[in-house]
Amino acid sequence: MTSDGELIQRAATGDRSAFEDLYRRYARPVFGLALRRLGDRGRAEDAVQETFASIWRSASSYRPDRGPGAPWLYAVARNAIVDRARARTEIPADIPDEAGTEPGPPEQAEQGWVAWRVHRALEELPEREREVIALAYWSGLSQSEVAEFLGIPLGTVKTRTRAALQRLAELLGDEEGI
Amino acid sequence: MSDFRDIVDTEGLDPEEEARLRRVHELLVRAGPPPDLPPSLERTPEAAEAEIVQFPLLPKRRWAAAALIAAALALIAFGGGYLLGDSHGGTSSFAVERIVPMHGSGDSQGFIKISSRDSVGNWPMELEVSGLPKQAQRQAYYELWLTRGHKPVELCGAFRVHGDSTKVRFSVPYDLRGIDGWVVTAQPEGTREPGPVVMTT
Repeated sequence: MTSDGELIQRAATGDRSAFEDLYRRYARPVFGLALRRLGDRGRAEDAVQETFASIWRSASSYRPDRGPGAPWLYAVARNAIVDRARARTEIPADIPDEAGTEPGPPEQAEQGWVAWRVHRALEELPEREREVIALAYWSGLSQSEVAEFLGIPLGTVKTRTRAALQRLAELLGDEEGI
Repeated sequence: MSDFRDIVDTEGLDPEEEARLRRVHELLVRAGPPPDLPPSLERTPEAAEAEIVQFPLLPKRRWAAAALIAAALALIAFGGGYLLGDSHGGTSSFAVERIVPMHGSGDSQGFIKISSRDSVGNWPMELEVSGLPKQAQRQAYYELWLTRGHKPVELCGAFRVHGDSTKVRFSVPYDLRGIDGWVVTAQPEGTREPGPVVMTT
């Protein structure tokens, strides 16, 4: 799989397919972060647009020797969201500066970064695995109920769930200490 | 929220692998559910652009009309380009529906924000460019064109640049069927025809 950093570098040369890949990977994490900080879906949508405009505009400023792409994208998103808050002359949202090292409430900073990384990784799961994860973790259904809901055997639900977690472990890798 | 063992079948897993999956489980719990993307964000900018060119709009303006508009906008650009170009203006009143990226030679980059079509058939759009050189000739300017067959066919407007970044708003009534992109051309002093392309989508 092409790394985020490689996609950013390709976008910097005007490669729109790379930009589209970045959008596919990060539209939901950016929207989640914006929604969390701005508290309004309409404004969060605007922030997503601004974020990707900023990514396109400033991709050439990304330096791979200074770190992987995800923290850079996180910083761009954070800036765009703060700008969106300021543009409305409202109190800027309290968004952590960067992953794990920023000042401010450490729990909030880490929470934002964890959600960013996990939601990004979920985008890479096959649909059938993402589906069982969503049902198992965020719908309140038991494994048996998930099986009944999807009309598949309980063993299949268990297999897909384990496979999904293993895939997520690989995707999250060292960055989350896995 | 269920316990790890209620969700993940750990049978046959060695302790190290179980610990690894447990860590993922904890991250999923902490992250919470990802948001549903609204329809406006489900399309990538690339896909959105492809859709735009299929919209049936008003009849195509003829070249002469475009040239007339170019001349009129050029006059505005000569005397009031700084009013059109705004490197610091906000965008709060501009409802963005789609964004189309542009790129050019050197460090020049930009994007076009497109709003929804208004009640009389105009498409409001905002061009933001950076890295375009400031033109030395006082009556030189840049133009934004719609292209067909990668050739400029419909003029969206003219502008001059200043500072690092320039924003310009346009509103165009053109039929976008068959349109395959946008270009920015550099218009030397006294030129009516589209000049050399300096940025493209």
